[in-house]
Amino acid sequence: MAKSSSVSKFKQDNKTAYLLLAPIVILLTIFVVVPFFYALVVSFYDWSFYQESKFVGFRNYYLVLTDDLFLESVWTGLKFALMVVPSMLVLSFLFASVVKNLSPRFSGFVKTSVYIPTIISGIVASVIFVFIYDYTAGLANYILGWFGVEPIAWLADVRTALPSIAVPAVWLGFGLTSLIMLSGLHDIPESYYEAAELEGAGTWAKMRHITIPLMRNVILYLLVTGFTAQISQFELSLVMTNGGPLSETVTPNLYILNHFRNDVMVGNSIAASLLLFVVLGSISAIIFRVLNSEKAIDG
Amino acid sequence: MNTLTRTQKSIITTISAAVTLVALFPLLWVAIAGFKERSEVLATPFRFFPKRWLVQNYTDILGDWTFVQSMLVTFGGAVLFAALSLAVNASAAYVFARLDFKFKGLMWVYVITTMFVPGMAILLTSFIVVNKMGMLDTLAVLVLPGVASAGHMFFIRQFYLNIPLALEEAALIDGAGRARIFTSVFLPMSFPVFVIVGIGSYLAFWNSFVWPTMTITNPHLFQIMQYLYTFRSERSTEMGMLMAGSALSALPTVILFLIFQRHIISGIKISGLK
Repeated sequence: MAKSSSVSKFKQDNKTAYLLLAPIVILLTIFVVVPFFYALVVSFYDWSFYQESKFVGFRNYYLVLTDDLFLESVWTGLKFALMVVPSMLVLSFLFASVVKNLSPRFSGFVKTSVYIPTIISGIVASVIFVFIYDYTAGLANYILGWFGVEPIAWLADVRTALPSIAVPAVWLGFGLTSLIMLSGLHDIPESYYEAAELEGAGTWAKMRHITIPLMRNVILYLLVTGFTAQISQFELSLVMTNGGPLSETVTPNLYILNHFRNDVMVGNSIAASLLLFVVLGSISAIIFRVLNSEKAIDG
Repeated sequence: MNTLTRTQKSIITTISAAVTLVALFPLLWVAIAGFKERSEVLATPFRFFPKRWLVQNYTDILGDWTFVQSMLVTFGGAVLFAALSLAVNASAAYVFARLDFKFKGLMWVYVITTMFVPGMAILLTSFIVVNKMGMLDTLAVLVLPGVASAGHMFFIRQFYLNIPLALEEAALIDGAGRARIFTSVFLPMSFPVFVIVGIGSYLAFWNSFVWPTMTITNPHLFQIMQYLYTFRSERSTEMGMLMAGSALSALPTVILFLIFQRHIISGIKISGLK
């Protein structure tokens, strides 16, 4: 660290440092480190609340990886993320491009308003959207009625259940994503666009050759964080469908949570959650590799 | 931008207004549905506004002491949680940003690594730990486990690293101790970062749902999201009250956000990504 040279002109402050660090270290040890190693250990045992545990090696991992329901839930999580993340990124990119040109006064109002859904809890969002999807009295079928379309049982139909849950996920995430996009857009020097205009570049050319390349890192960041967040989503499906119809909306974390609540043996679900952690890490790594393969252009 | 024509400007304004309306619509709708008569909430055909505006659902839910109590308890818990989280994470952030001490690198790795532990993986074993510590059904079980956060610590540390060294060197030469400098130089300058981290902690606490349902069975300590979830499964016919309760549960958060919105929105910077 470059700064340590000027700091080390002064003596070491072991006592103050340890005193101020003690709370964070103690709390993290009790509530993160111990439970984590405990989970690692339990994942190798046939462990339960009610009986002696028995060492079973990798059996829990084997059981999870051969459990169709778990594999299906990972697939559901992936589908869900593929529905939510790209649509959210495209929408918020377009929206941010529009807001960028607003007068500062109005854009302040718009930014504040679109951010509000971000602070709403998954539970409240679920309650609201279950009403929107209500078969007889919901807004969704009412709008379909304008076009003469028959009402749909949004959350009970295997074909529409997962996309229906994806909509509130987009609603919850749209505000923050847009504001991050917007701040990225503001970081692009206006002179680049002016120069391109002098060369006769149109809107599309400017977007393709200036905006998108310079937004690359922002988009990459939003893609990776969005993917991991959406694959981990479970509150919406827990409240809106409880995983149904069939197990169409059981995301990986809902699978794990259901097993915690219903099983006597928990080694399985802990093994599943550790595996999921590895899966998520790999997905982020792959996305990073793919998108980062060309060197990002510096702004 | 001055290159836009008048038509372009009005199109842009219209689009923005429409998106804003769509984003706010679900919340407005739930609040307005709370004013409907009991039979009207799920009546066909769909109507946005009530036939008659009634405050019945709101007075009913506010007359339910468990609801009011869970709002108050959750609010108190969230404020305490945010305050403790700032205290714990900011002091660690200061130490890592400025102090030199034995095993600094080791401590840094130890703290930062916890950032990568997924919550779901330790959900059950955390439950076992708090159970063994006899913390179930106490305020402590809601507040303590999440207080220390490597992510928040890291965020505050980045802010402290940008504070010029010159500001504290004068105080150091005057013989002020490191702890004194933290409280007299750093804390007064921390407002912008504290708003963001504090609201983040507050929100996480207010919106938390799974952990309270696992650890709290005593109705006096019920958390607001836990209350709404239970209400929905146990009193599913009282839709109007559920709507009113949901709208009210979002109210403190929205007010808090509106008070600090300028700081929060200007805090959303991605400059660290480059």
